[in-house]
Order: sequence, then structure tokens, then C-alpha cells
Amino acid sequence: MNHDIGKLPEILERYPQEPQSLIAVLQDIQKEYNFLPCDALKHTADYLDVPLSKVFSVSTFYNAFSLNPKGDRVIRVCMGTTCHIRGAAQILEQLEKKLNIRAGETTPDLKYTLEVVNCVGACAMAPVVIVNDKYYGSVKVSGTKKLLKGG
Amino acid sequence: MRIDKPAQLTKLRKELVAVEKKHTKKIMICCGPGCLANGAAKIVEEFRKVLKKKHIRGFKIEALKETGCHGFCERGPLVIIEPRGTFYTKVKPKDVEEIINESIRKDETVERLLYDDPSNGHKIERYNDIPFYSHQQRIALRNLGHIDQYKIEDYIVADGYNALVKALTKMKPDEIIAEVTTSGLRGRGGAGFSTGRKWATCAKAEDTPHYVICNGDEGDPGAFMDRSIMEGDPHSVLEGMIIAAYAVGAHEGYIYVREEYPLAIENLKLAIHQATEYGFLGENILGSGFSLTLNVSRGGGAFVCGESSALMKSVAGEVGEPRAKYVRSVLKGFHDKPTVLNNVETYANIPVIIDKGGEWFAGIGTPGSSGTKAFSLVGKVRNTGLIEVPMGTKLREIIYDIGGGILDNRPFKAVQTGGPSGGCLPEEKLDLPVDFDTLTEAYSMMGSGGMIVMDDHTCVVDLAKYFLAFLVEESCGKCVPCREGLFQLHAMVKKISEGQGIEEDIEKMEKLSDVIIKSSLCGLGKSGPNPFLSTVRYFRDEYLAHIRDKKCPAKVCRELIRFDIIADKCDGCTACLSACAFDAITGKKNEVHVIDQDKCTKCGACEAVCTRNAIEVS
Amino acid sequence: MVHLTINGQVVQANDGEMLLDVIKRMGIDIPAICQHDAVEPFGSCRLCTVEITKADWDGWKNYVTSCLYPVADGLIVNTHSETVNEIRKTLLDLYLARHPNSLFVRKLAAEHGVTKTSYEEIPDGDDCILCGLCTRICERMGFSAISTVGRGHSKEVAPPLKEAPPDCVGCLACAQCCPTGHIKFSEEGASRSIWGKQFEKIACSKCGKLTITKEFADSLSETRNIPREYFDVCDDCRRKEIALTMGRLAQWSREEETV
Repeated sequence: MNHDIGKLPEILERYPQEPQSLIAVLQDIQKEYNFLPCDALKHTADYLDVPLSKVFSVSTFYNAFSLNPKGDRVIRVCMGTTCHIRGAAQILEQLEKKLNIRAGETTPDLKYTLEVVNCVGACAMAPVVIVNDKYYGSVKVSGTKKLLKGG
Repeated sequence: MRIDKPAQLTKLRKELVAVEKKHTKKIMICCGPGCLANGAAKIVEEFRKVLKKKHIRGFKIEALKETGCHGFCERGPLVIIEPRGTFYTKVKPKDVEEIINESIRKDETVERLLYDDPSNGHKIERYNDIPFYSHQQRIALRNLGHIDQYKIEDYIVADGYNALVKALTKMKPDEIIAEVTTSGLRGRGGAGFSTGRKWATCAKAEDTPHYVICNGDEGDPGAFMDRSIMEGDPHSVLEGMIIAAYAVGAHEGYIYVREEYPLAIENLKLAIHQATEYGFLGENILGSGFSLTLNVSRGGGAFVCGESSALMKSVAGEVGEPRAKYVRSVLKGFHDKPTVLNNVETYANIPVIIDKGGEWFAGIGTPGSSGTKAFSLVGKVRNTGLIEVPMGTKLREIIYDIGGGILDNRPFKAVQTGGPSGGCLPEEKLDLPVDFDTLTEAYSMMGSGGMIVMDDHTCVVDLAKYFLAFLVEESCGKCVPCREGLFQLHAMVKKISEGQGIEEDIEKMEKLSDVIIKSSLCGLGKSGPNPFLSTVRYFRDEYLAHIRDKKCPAKVCRELIRFDIIADKCDGCTACLSACAFDAITGKKNEVHVIDQDKCTKCGACEAVCTRNAIEVS
Repeated sequence: MVHLTINGQVVQANDGEMLLDVIKRMGIDIPAICQHDAVEPFGSCRLCTVEITKADWDGWKNYVTSCLYPVADGLIVNTHSETVNEIRKTLLDLYLARHPNSLFVRKLAAEHGVTKTSYEEIPDGDDCILCGLCTRICERMGFSAISTVGRGHSKEVAPPLKEAPPDCVGCLACAQCCPTGHIKFSEEGASRSIWGKQFEKIACSKCGKLTITKEFADSLSETRNIPREYFDVCDDCRRKEIALTMGRLAQWSREEETV
């Protein structure tokens, strides 16, 4: 698991060197590399003086973090209650079939990652799908092709 | 510019108000969560482009405001022309030029973009005349849609930070607490605990330091009130927190925002920066000697972190595992020190309570639940959006007068309140006045304010299964009743939804639910069985239909339905064939299509696209 | 000093004590498998749940874990009420569904009348009951080598990155406190292996007996300011050394007196 983590010192220096900074540091690392490289976890543990086991524990507890690289396009299907009753499960199914992966996985060519997310707060426009931070509202079951092309 | 004395703020406000008055017309573009998802950013861009190109006499670009959620999300993207109140709906970028020509250059309106009354088709120009708005009373949401969400100056013009001046210079901490207690304000995050009493306990706590924290986790699916306030009126939250901190003697505070709300995080950080520059945060605020720093703490993505002790662990950089609250967090909270944790909406009410007085607030709503409550009204209702009504308003008024009734005139089935911890209320409960106690007595709960309306196409067994799956996924896993109990409860409801349940299962699940409620460590587990308990209470027959008849009356549960193409209605348009992701439909163009039952997954994609009404679900 | 009633008997307790301390002192036996004197109470197994009420609660009862509930004046506690027994039984039923192959769970469940689970069994369920004792004791020892990984039903105890834990010193505290014996380790001669990591035990320089691992000794030496050589002699030999030294001292002082 050797990934170039040249930018890591710059990320670490943004935060005070204390355990309280852990989640914020991991989020910045996740944003920079699209996942959490092992070496980054080790350096973070040293920098913040937090046991590596705790860093790993936090990395695996929260939904925001991924220990495996994500694809170029991260498609997040909102599975909140409103989206659910407006057909989110069908949309997810269509995407799973088209991409040939299950939710939580990334395509082998690293082009797409499919995820579910628990309510993003845009319930009035349910069902909602987010592709790389771009929100698509009132998504139709037949409109999933568009999501894969655009975004 | 730093405000060191109250007189300076008064002077500044006068100057800013004078500047605002010079704008004879203002364009308010709603940038709330719904409109943003629907392309509001492009509309803002287009307005800026056109206004730059065409210099309109008397119109300055500062009169173009990007506001928070105006409320009527169903009709978005929204553009409102003030002070006239012209309400434009479903605006597209190509409409922008016409709006500028008619409403800004002239004093006309663009008829086709106005709201039309569904009962008679007449156009209503002003939003205040539209029933969706006229039934509301917006206190926590007072500024949403009316101020530029990025400008502290707009907040000041709207009397912002007036309450802070009053609190810091004219009131003592215990007087502030007394005022909040008089108001009767109860926590808006769902538990409904007396805010005044919470602050009083913390203020008296001997251990130091004290902390104030804002719960911006809003994990309930279907709720976006807090998101709207954090994005659209962040200073109202800050002002509330500063007043709270002063009252309880805290000098450090955090606003915990869930990871899924990046815009809220940005807007809050910007607001903190602005407030610090103005001197409303930091050292020696307004010359009072009181100092406070506030920081935004980003969640990592975990519903359980909405629970107060889990939230505090998350702020401290740890896993969000709750602890037993036999010693309340108001005494042993963040870093085991006295901490006040309140919800976003609770803090947003504070400046108004200090400004207008606790008694004024207590005069609104019901004796047990004073004030108003913000709700996100969503689901199968015509007018979805963000609303605020006095406590005690009947559910029927909310769903029918404000919500406009059920979509497509389908029959009302139930309304879900309180998120995964809450419950469903059926038609016979529609005349229930909404407040903390009545909802709890009816076996639901207020929760954070998500209100999801359902029609007869919703299956309650499927809904219970959905909520339990959510809770199993989000459980922290620390205690057995929640981790294993909800897991088994979900497995049993799933079996029923698949037609594999037996009648004894219901009693078994009710007993298991009782144990889970009594022995779980935290609120997630304790309220976990509610989705099952409330649906089986009011819709037992539906469960029995799944068990005895192996039927799903709402035609939702996949294993119990089948999709067929009605031969004499199908004209072979191939729409369903293209829509099917599982290659289950065969047929040549212009010939009747057929669904292969072995391949069909009952996803419903075909029915959604068929314009010939040729697909039957049974 | 507070006075409370437990199972009908009025007892005294010190302020700050937990109900479980008093219950144990009275000789009442209730299961509390995630509890250990070396670490703070955790509240994960919920088996020590008791029923509490007070005279002015109008008959309202609450159910709390006795390991974490502080004693209070006037509290009325029932450790084996019908509801509490039902709770314990159901919890053990749930445990049995998840860990059908664990001898520890099967025995404890049988003691409470549960011999077969009434829920959906996980046939290949392992023996880790997620009591958290191992991770908490490891933290208490100062190593924090292992932790809980993941969340919810798929939560497990594992070393970081699921590789040999860098901070583990092979002290075996985790294995010793594990109630079900889930944590396995192996020893062969001077070698010890646990969590996928290999260790070498120190041989006493005097008698050759194998004692603690090199890494454990290094860590103790560093953190407790003890010279590293101290650990090269086993406890027995050290006792003999001290006894010999004391003997010599006694002899010198006798010789000095006679001079």
C-alpha cells in the first residue's frame, strides 16, 4: 500500500498537534487522496500522538472514510426516507446493474464508485443523487444513464 | 470594523439600513438545499451576467441577494422581488432576462412564472397571500429567504446582534437564564428538554471549564431544517450560542456539523470569521469582558453522533460511542466537563426570546410546548418544503392547508414524525395538535421536525423494514440489545415483508422490542423499535395481510407482487424494454411486450416510464 | 453515606459507589461480563441491568446497568424482578444467536434457562462477544495496541490495518481477561505469538527460566524508570538474591556488635 503522500505534512500542519484534530485531519486526507493511505494513517498517529489502533478505529467507524481508493466519479444515492418512498432503491438497483458493482464498491477501472448516503437534506427534491459534489434532484428511474455521463 | 460599544452597533445599523433603503427593488434568489439541487447556482450566475451587461438605472448589484431556504421547495427554483413580494416559481436561467425586464426595469410581472392556486387556477402574485405561507409563523426561520446568507451586514440590518448587546450589557447571566426559562423553550432537537433548566444546571456546576456545543448533526432522514438555518442564517445560531455561553460561563464552543453538509460548514466558518472581525466573537466582546471562541467541528458521517455523548466524543476526535447518561452531560460532558448541548433551531430562537422577552414567546403555542416549530414537510404531499408553525397547530392543517393535500389526490395513509426514532400516525390522528406531549402520547414523537407524508402506495411493513435497516447500519455496536436486538428485529420484519412470517412473530417482536427499549444504552437503541411498534399499533391488519394472505396491500413488497404487461393496452413502444436494467422484457417494436417473471426484479422502472398504462402490478 | 434497599434489604453504601459494588458485597450473583476491576465500567453487555424505583416515583420503574449507576439515598433496587429476569434471558438469547459455538455463552445462557436461541442463528459466529475488555485493558496497560474496528453488527476487535500491531508487547493481558477464550496465542520454547506478531521471552540470567517478552521489559523499563537489567533476573532468583543480601547484612551487624 505505497501511495505518494507528499502533501501530507502540509495537511497535518493545518491543525493543532492534539488528539482532537484527528477527524478533521482524516477528512482532509480523504479529500486530497480520495481515500486514506496506510502510510498517511501512520504519520497521522505520530503527529497527533494518538495510538495507531485508535486512528484505525476512527477510520473504520465513520462513513466518510475509505481505506480503498475511490473512482473518478463518486455516485452517491441518497437513501433517506423521502428518497426511499420516491424510488431511491430502484435507482440504486439500476446503477448497480449498469456499473456491475454493488453499493460501496468501485469499478475495476477506477472510473466509478457507487455509494449510498443517509439523507443529504434536500428532501424536497427527492430522489436525490450526488455525483462528485453535484446534486441531481427529482431523479427518474429511467434517467440513470444521464448520471453516468454527466457530473 | 470592530464594534466595541453598543452605540457603535446602533450607528452602524442606521447606516446599513439607509443603504438598504436606497435599493428600491431587491432580487432574492433562494439558495436553499432544494433550490440548489435544482440549479439555483446557474440562476444566480445568469442574473449576474445579465445585470452586468444591461445597466439598470437605480439598481445596484448589491440588491441581488443569495438567500437561504424561502420554504416552498416544491415550486423551486424560487426568485422573489422585494419589497413587492412577487413570487416567481420554477425559474429557469432562460427566464432571467424577462424577469429583469418586467419586474426590475418596469413594475410588471411575468405572469407565467407566478404561483397558480390549484383550486381555481388563478395566479397569486405575492407569497404572503399563498396559503402555504399565510398559515405559517416564522421565528426560527425568520431571516431565511430575506437576507443574503453570506453577508453579516444583512443580518445586522435585520436587527441581528441586538439581543447580544442587550444580554451582555443590560442583563446578568442568571437573568438571561430566567428569561429563557420563562419562555418555556424546549429543545428542538427532539428530546424537548427545558432549555432554561439545562442552562441553569450548567451555570451552577462547580467543575470548570464549561462548554457550549451546537448539535448540527441532523441525521434524521427527511429533515433539513437545521441545514437550512446553518446555511441560510448562520449568524442566528452564533448569536444564540454567544448568549448561551455568557449565561453559563463558557469560553469555548463548538458547532458540530455532519459531514454530509459541506455548504453548512462553509457558511458557518464564514459567519464565524465575520463575527470575529466585528468583535462579536473573540476577546472582550462588546467591551463586556466576556470572551468566547467558536469552532466548527466536522462530523465523520455517523447517525449515532446526533446523540449528545457520542457527539462530544466525536468532537474530541474519537469514535462516536455513547455512554450511559446516568450522570448527565450537562454536568459531565465534553472532556467530562459541564457542557450545554443544544440543537441548531433551539439556538436560533434565543436572540428573539431575549429581544422580545420570554413571556412573548410563552404566549405562542401551547402551555406545555411554547413557541413555534420548524418542519420539513416532505413525501407524497403537494407542497413540499420548509415550514414553521406555532405549536398546537393541527396535523390536518399542516398537511392539507399548508401542504396542499396528497399528491395526485391519492388517499392519505400516514404521516411519519420524529425520524427513525419516531412513529407513524394514521388518518384518525389528523386532528392531533402538534406538540411534544401529544405526539409522544400518540406513540410517535416530535423528533427534530421531519414530517413525511405517505399515501396508500406506501407499505408500512416496508417502511418499518427500511427504518430498522437504517438503524442496524448506524448502530455503534457497543451494546447487545441494540446491536443484536435490532438486527434480529429487522430480520423478522424482513421475513414478514417477504411473505415468510408467522403470526407468532408479531408477539415475539413486541416482546423483543420491550427488552430493547428497557436495556439499550442510548437513545438510538431505546427508540429503535418505534418504527415497528407504531406501525403495528395502527396498521396491524397490514402486517397480518403479509403473514396470513402473503399479500402486500400497497403493492410494494417485491416478493409479494408481480408486474405484467396488459396485452390490449401495449402498443410496443419499447419504452419499458429500454428502461429495464435486467433484460426482463422482450418484444419487437410495435408488438406486445412480455415480462419474463424469472428475470424481473420488481424494481418498477417499466411502470414508471409506461405512458400507455399497460403495466399492471398485482 | 447513603442508605438504599436492595432486594428488600436496607444497606449502607459510600457516596460515589456504583450499585454493582454494593450488590457484589451483599453476595448477590448477577452476570456482568464486560466488567473488570482493572478498568472503568463500560455498559456494553447490559446483563447487570437491575430494576430501580423510589418511593416518590409513583410506581414508575427504571432499568439501569448497575455497573454504571451511582448509589443514591432512598433507592429501591431489585436485581431479579420478573422484568429484569426477562431482560437477561432475552439478552442471552440474542448472545446465543450470534455465538452458538461459544462454550462460555452456552453455559451462561443455560444458567438463565436458555438452551437454544429463538432467533436467527449465525452458524459460523465466532467467540468474540465484543465486551471490550481486551481493548480497555490494553489501553490501561499503556499500549493501546488493539482496538475496535468498524461499527454496528460487523464491529470486531483487531490490530490496526489488520496487520501485526506495532504497539503490542506480547504481555497477554488481553488474552487473560477475555471471558470466552477468543483471543488465541501460542508459545513454543522462548517464542510467543499473538495477534500475528512474534515475540521472544527473556531467559533469567541466573536460572534460565523464561519470563516476560523483551518488548514488554523494554516498555516497562522506559515508562516506569526501572533499569533494564532488572528484568534479566526472574522473580524467584531476585527473591533469593534479596534473601542472601539480607542475610549478609544481618551477619555484618552481628559481627560489628561483637567487635
